[in-house]
Formats: sequence, C-alpha cells, structure tokens
Amino acid sequence: MELTVTENLEQELRVEIAGEDHTFMNVLKGALLETEGVAAATYDVNPEQSGGQTEPILTVKTEDGVDPIDALKTAAQRVQEKTDAFRSAFEQAA
Amino acid sequence: MDEDYEVEFVERGDRKALFLVRGVTPAFANGIRRTMIADVPTLAIDEVRVIENSSVMFDEQIALRLGLVPLTTPPAEFDEDDVVTLSIDVAGPATAYSGDLVSADDMVQPADQNVPIIELKDGQRLELEADAVLETGKAHAKHQGGVSVGYRHLQRVEVVGDADEFEESEPNIVRGVVEIDGELVDTAEFDNDLTQKFPGKEVAVHDVEKAFVFHVETDGSMTVEELVNRATDSIESRALELEDAVSL
Repeated sequence: MELTVTENLEQELRVEIAGEDHTFMNVLKGALLETEGVAAATYDVNPEQSGGQTEPILTVKTEDGVDPIDALKTAAQRVQEKTDAFRSAFEQAA
Repeated sequence: MDEDYEVEFVERGDRKALFLVRGVTPAFANGIRRTMIADVPTLAIDEVRVIENSSVMFDEQIALRLGLVPLTTPPAEFDEDDVVTLSIDVAGPATAYSGDLVSADDMVQPADQNVPIIELKDGQRLELEADAVLETGKAHAKHQGGVSVGYRHLQRVEVVGDADEFEESEPNIVRGVVEIDGELVDTAEFDNDLTQKFPGKEVAVHDVEKAFVFHVETDGSMTVEELVNRATDSIESRALELEDAVSL
C-alpha cells in the first residue's frame, strides 16, 4: 500500500492507494460513508487492460470544519473495529 | 458506532461450511469474500527441476499439473519468500498421483492423495524435484485457498394467507438457506419449492437486511475457519497500514 496525495484541500482529499483493488477500497469507502462529517466518498479504479491509471483513486469530501485526512483515519479505524467484531463473532460461533 | 455482529453455523466441516452472518454491510461481506478468494496466500508448486520425464507429456504440462495440486499450508509458518521442496519418483507401468509427492517439510503435504498427475506406461518414468512457494490467488489461481466462496442474502419466508383456490399452482423456488419462523431451514429439505413446504398457502419472501449466508469451500490447504480468520486478518492489517500512513 503506497499513498500518493494528488489533491489536498480543506474539504476535499484525493489520494491514490497503490496496490489495492475493489477488495479493500469498497470496504474502506463503505466505512467512510458511515463516518461522521463525510459528505461524499468514492473511489475510481480502471481495469488492468485499460492501459491508463490502474491504481485506485480515493476521493473524500467532508462537511464544514472536518479535515478529510482525519475522516480517512477514522474510517481506517472503523474498518479495524469491523474486523475485530467479525473475528470475535466468528470465533464465538466456531 | 457499535458493531454488533452475530455468526451462526448452518453446516460445518473442515473444507466446507455454511454460516450466517448478521449485522455486516454488503461492502464488508464482499470484502471478506474477495479476500478469501484472492488475498489469502497458499503454497503451490511453482518451479520444477526435471530429472527424468519419459512420459507422453511435456515438462511444462507436468509442471502445470503439479502446480494445481493443493498443498497444506499451516497458518503463520511461512513467509512470502519461503520455499518448500517436494520430489516425486514414479516408474511405469503406474499412475503418478499427488500422494507420491514426498515433501521435505512434514507440515506441507498434498491435501489430497489421489489427484492423478500422469499415467505412465511400461518403461516410462517421472522423476523430478519441485519448489513450492507462498503466493496469493491474485497472482495465480493455483494459490487460491477458497475455491467456492460466496454468499446470499438471507431471505425470510412468511405465510400471508391462503392461495387462490382456482389459480393454477406454480413452483415458488428459493435457494440456499431461508428463515422460517425464526428458524434457519435448508431449502433442499423441501426441494427448493415453497409450494411443497406450504401447500395451498400464499407466502411472502423478503430479504433480511444485513444478513448474509456464506458458503465457503477450501481446496484443503487450510480449514474454512483458518481461511475466514486469515481473510479477516488481511483486511485488518491493510486498514492498520492505512491508518499508520495517514497519521503523520
């Protein structure tokens, strides 16, 4: 995972997350949309055969007074909360 | 926000399991599914040193077949660059099976003993050494630990009344596992046809929100439980990496 920030505004962040695909990006996007203060979150990724930009680009827009980098950090923590909860639920059943 | 997940096994075996997960979002369910297929590394033969191959097949064809033999991959024992050497020596007339592979590491064995590699006729011989490496399904399908991994939305079936007496009855097909009166029922029990379970009744079928029935089968390189746990770990470690990267 290698991050390259291509746009960093007060309420908008655009970052390329190299080495990831839909597997992680969609989980992250889902977590971002559940995060407070996030107005919009999406990612764009092109197929390998397209020949152009093939690494996913994440775009986060936030509401007034919320730093998109903080929102991204919160979402990353949220994903870990989800995996933790899933692991313990699974182990309990197993 | 609090995460309240619930897991319930419907069918549970080492290589095949069916379990219901409540509370997860579709995005998370799909993340787990995709990770089980493409991102959990397993060992598979990747390089072959042929000593003698007088069979009817080219070395490359034999190598491909050997690569597709699932090898047991104990968790947390191997790293990306580790190599496990296996060898095989079979002289015809006989069939070389995966069980004829001799591993240098006791932990790494063919998951099935009876995968045919090639039939050898009188005077033919297959002798070679092979290196197994750890890779993910993303790199090559032979490294896929989960071979049949998917999920369905859990559906709730409710009787809403009597069917129209004079209407011609048509089959009402549902698949997988459904919820009837709070119980999980395999639809195979009533031939997947709700009109057999509830003759003469009108039923309503609804998706249960945030409830998914996972069907997980592995190729034998690890158990279903290990596969699920390792998929969860994989997503968690990526989220942690991202968190570290943005916390400068």
